[in-house]
Amino acid sequence: MSEFMIALFLGVFFGFALNKAGLTKYHKIVNVFRLTDLTVLKFMMTALIVSMSGLYLLRGLGLVTFPNVPPTYVAANVIGGLIFGIGMAVSGFCPGTCAAGSGEGKLDYLIPGMLGFLVGAVIYGLTYPQVYPAISAIASVGNVVIPDLWKLSPFLAIALFTVLSLFLFYLIDRAGLHRKGRG
Amino acid sequence: MKSIIAYIRKDEWSPYVAGVLLGVVGVLAVWLSNSLLGASGAFENLAGIIGKQIAPDLFNNMYFNYIMPPEITWSMILLVGVFFGGMLGAATSGTLKWGKKDSANSNTQWKSIFGQQTWKRWAVAFFGAIVLEYAAGIAGGCTSGLAISGGMLLAPAAFLFIAGMFASGILTTMLIYRKRY
Repeated sequence: MSEFMIALFLGVFFGFALNKAGLTKYHKIVNVFRLTDLTVLKFMMTALIVSMSGLYLLRGLGLVTFPNVPPTYVAANVIGGLIFGIGMAVSGFCPGTCAAGSGEGKLDYLIPGMLGFLVGAVIYGLTYPQVYPAISAIASVGNVVIPDLWKLSPFLAIALFTVLSLFLFYLIDRAGLHRKGRG
Repeated sequence: MKSIIAYIRKDEWSPYVAGVLLGVVGVLAVWLSNSLLGASGAFENLAGIIGKQIAPDLFNNMYFNYIMPPEITWSMILLVGVFFGGMLGAATSGTLKWGKKDSANSNTQWKSIFGQQTWKRWAVAFFGAIVLEYAAGIAGGCTSGLAISGGMLLAPAAFLFIAGMFASGILTTMLIYRKRY
């Protein structure tokens, strides 16, 4: 199977999962930020727990080598995340869910959404030399993973992440219920 | 068997079941293709391809030449798959919007906050998408390319990004929803 066939095949399952999780709906994305519906968080955390366990297990068995790890440039990651959150909270989608929603026939995703990503990509690419090197130089740690950085067994890190996620679900669910009870 | 088919046809799955599916897809991407899932990057390569046709001089810069070169990438094909995956998902639950009257602006919660006008939804979707793509560029990826793909490798970048995204997402919805938050 050629690389592109694999990409197409995996993409279909990716889009299918986004659709079935309900992430192609405006209110699902926005309500996670209102803490009234934690679907997005539960979906992401579950995907993370499954994929990190699977990948580190496969690497431990010598079956995979990791691709390039996304670089940790603290300021760039945080500032990018902060701006990204604004975009997500107003539009109710992100690049992946917009593509899946477009396939469903939602024209607000397909036309202004996709066009906006293209325009954003043009603006980013043209301003890249003035912006990115400066921001990414601040608190630059590079292409590292937490187990190497903190000299931690990856399986301990994954176990910790799993416990923390479950605790987080519990806390947020409780806070949400508390608020609903009040209002 | 019948109950499995009935579950597939459901409009919404448990986020845990859908999350397991995404997790497996993330592992397979590395295992089969040594690639990471992502979405925002595909738009950057595509912008380069289109830009170099229309204004080759303007797009002849470091970014569009070397960092996101104007070529068909694995991520682009993945995104085409995502498009059809969304279509397939909606088809199985009978919720496709193609040709439907409300396909341009269909969300009831949106309408209850911003009103019925389609142009408003389209304007926010357009400018929101610009903001998202620019932010993904700075961060080094979007929800799939950085949060999921970086997170599954245990890269600190992913968790910093997720923290920033939730902090500002919560603040922004507080401002938009005010008393209805």
